[in-house]
Amino acid sequence: MASAEKTPYEKPLLEISGLKTVFPTDDGIVNAVNDVSFSIARGQTVGVVGESGCGKSITGLSMLQLVPSPGRIEAGEILFHRNGTDAPIDIAQVSPKSELMRQIRGNEIAIIFQEPMTSLNPVYTVGNQIAEAIVLHEQVDKKTAHERAIEMIARVGIPAPAQRVDEYPHQLSGGMRQRIMIAMALCCSPSLLIADEPTTALDVTIQAQVLGLMQELQAEMGMAIMLITHDLGVIADFADEVVVMYSGRVVEKGTVDDIFYNPLHPYTQGLLKSIPVLGRTAEKTLPSIPGTVPHPLTLPVGCSFGPRCPERMPECDQMPELAETDGKTENGRHTVRCWLHTDLEGKG
Amino acid sequence: MTKLLEVNDLRKHFPIQKGIFQRTVGYVKAVDGINFDVQRGETLGLVGESGCGKTTAGRCLLRLIPPTSGSFIFGEEEVDLAKLTPHEMRPFRRRIQMIFQDPHASLNPRMTVGDIVGEPMRVNRTEQGSALQDRVVELLESVGLQSQDTRRYPHAFSGGQRQRIGIARALALQPELIVADEPVSALDVSVQAQILNLLAELREKFQLSYIFIAHDLSVVEHISDRVAVMYLGKIAEISDAETLYQSPKHPYTEALISAVPLPDPKAQRKREHIRLEGDVPDPSNPPTGCYFHPRCRYATDICKQETPELRQVAQGVQVACHHSDTLELQGV
Ligand SMILES: Nc1ncnc2c1ncn2[C@@H]1O[C@H](COP(=O)(O)OP(=O)(O)OP(=O)(O)O)[C@@H](O)[C@H]1O
Ligand SMILES: Nc1ncnc2c1ncn2[C@@H]1O[C@H](COP(=O)(O)OP(=O)(O)O)[C@@H](O)[C@H]1O
Ligand code: SF4
Ligand code: SF4
Ligand SMILES: [Mg+2]
Ligand SMILES: [Mg+2]
Repeated sequence: MASAEKTPYEKPLLEISGLKTVFPTDDGIVNAVNDVSFSIARGQTVGVVGESGCGKSITGLSMLQLVPSPGRIEAGEILFHRNGTDAPIDIAQVSPKSELMRQIRGNEIAIIFQEPMTSLNPVYTVGNQIAEAIVLHEQVDKKTAHERAIEMIARVGIPAPAQRVDEYPHQLSGGMRQRIMIAMALCCSPSLLIADEPTTALDVTIQAQVLGLMQELQAEMGMAIMLITHDLGVIADFADEVVVMYSGRVVEKGTVDDIFYNPLHPYTQGLLKSIPVLGRTAEKTLPSIPGTVPHPLTLPVGCSFGPRCPERMPECDQMPELAETDGKTENGRHTVRCWLHTDLEGKG
Repeated sequence: MTKLLEVNDLRKHFPIQKGIFQRTVGYVKAVDGINFDVQRGETLGLVGESGCGKTTAGRCLLRLIPPTSGSFIFGEEEVDLAKLTPHEMRPFRRRIQMIFQDPHASLNPRMTVGDIVGEPMRVNRTEQGSALQDRVVELLESVGLQSQDTRRYPHAFSGGQRQRIGIARALALQPELIVADEPVSALDVSVQAQILNLLAELREKFQLSYIFIAHDLSVVEHISDRVAVMYLGKIAEISDAETLYQSPKHPYTEALISAVPLPDPKAQRKREHIRLEGDVPDPSNPPTGCYFHPRCRYATDICKQETPELRQVAQGVQVACHHSDTLELQGV
């Protein structure tokens, strides 16, 4: 296997541009994901952060053609450079049920969810489920698959793997179930793992274990991770690059240091100020963002954050583009969707 | 400051029943002998991982479930609430109210907001007719809602607004103590700050005391004057919030603080991370000695044999650890 870090790939692993995923409902069309663009480099962790309903999960599901019906990808590209040489595959154009998509899912891009209990089948042992995932993608017999399952259970740090392999999901704790999900997702060495709130249902000490495990496995296997979470602490701990979403759109993206130490979008700034930080006891009133996230069917005119924004101006009645910032940051990749940082031609 | 509540040796053991005759084969020691007090105007935070007994302790205090043993000395009268009959308890129910985690599940979807907030006053006959209507509007306004909202139903409100409705209802009978069980855990980050600020503001305005239950240490630190850390039905440490996070005295508190990822990438990279092994043990079959010993990196022989008592180690600091005097633990 090639060394994961030094390979001089020119293209990122995945480039999403202009992605739009919609849900037709009785009351109108919900633009769950609206003009979303970002890319994921090989071996890197991109954190996607935002409040409930902002489109994080649907972005992740779109990348695997797993958008639940009646939802559908309406526009945009999801270019998957599965290796450095071939022409990329545009996942947005691949049929959900096709052989190619089946191959990509699990073999190359894997996904884990917040509540492992709903993704594990309660009537099969965890060993059977891991073995099944192995057999699906590799030509091995049942016995070998079972042995590999035990190895994987040991690898994700569950004690007594030979005994656990024959247990059912309900016999395991939440943290162990999430480890089993990670084992299943990683048994085929994917190049990208999409982790949708993988630790939200777990206690902090167990969260630290699971995040630590993901970090170790990433260092070992060199996979990229797209980490979806609403927890800015988890992002600070884990991500290299950060994508901030608000009501279906990317409002800001940059390196983790850009986002935390030089946030430009008023929403990112507000979010960072409004969280209580352990050890900063002094101030007793939190600077909170007024109002709530708009309903997806009654979005405000122009910038979606406008009604809550302390810096709102007349220009804000038009939707600003996601644009490069004017070199105020260490690297040129810090982009923001806000008129404060964009001129009317849409340039930063 | 005057003492509002003193909890002594509260226990709640749930029987585990098996077989067709529902024989009791053991007990889940959900709360296993806890002591704390709450001063008037104070917020006591109760923090710990899921299943450590926070909710059970809160439900016992409100007598929503009967405690197995213990006493709750309440108010200037120093009445032991644990010993009261349901009838004798009635006047005290008004004085202690609860706010729940899930604002969705705790509001009746078929009642208007006005009826929900007015219900405690109707049931207790504290207000009637137009006085009641006025009081409902006053309550809604004090939590940041409007008079028009009385006619709307809960489904028409966001999670944060529903939590405000729950708070207005809890305030209706002018309680002295509010037990808030994970009141912001289900809310979005930006809305969480609004509700935390509201709770702090109401505490000043109505001279309330809170028992604030949550698993999120940062939130608990922010709102609390003092914090009690629970582990497996027992209190590991009680201290004022700042001391607790700057210089914890119990190894479990230290590990819990270390596990919280700080929203500060540079600080986070520099921190030493203490990673606890394994899961919280089963409360129906707790370890011997100190319940934390199988996961504690400072455990010695005595920890396996003897259960440490909660004892005062400094002004306002109580710890249940055999070695707290010699350990040098790290804070945030
Ligand atoms: N099956 C569906 N039908 C209609 N609308 C949907 C459906 N699934 C999602 N949506 C809408 O799409 C938008 C984005 O949802 P998504 O699940 O991606 O949010 P999220 O950022 O993952 O939120 P959370 O933090 O709560 O998981 C929301 O407005 C949501 O209501
Ligand atoms: N009604 C009940 N019957 C049996 N066990 C219970 C009951 N309620 C809670 N428990 C158990 O008591 C322990 C403490 O629960 P709880 O107080 O809900 O914890 P927390 O609120 O700290 O998460 C857990 O092990 C839980 O499973
Ligand atoms: S575009 Fe205008 S309303 Fe939107 S975030 Fe920027 S300043 Fe605020
Ligand atoms: S008593 Fe022993 S095992 Fe328990 S916390 Fe203290 S050092 Fe650790
Ligand atoms: Mg989601
Ligand atoms: Mg609880």
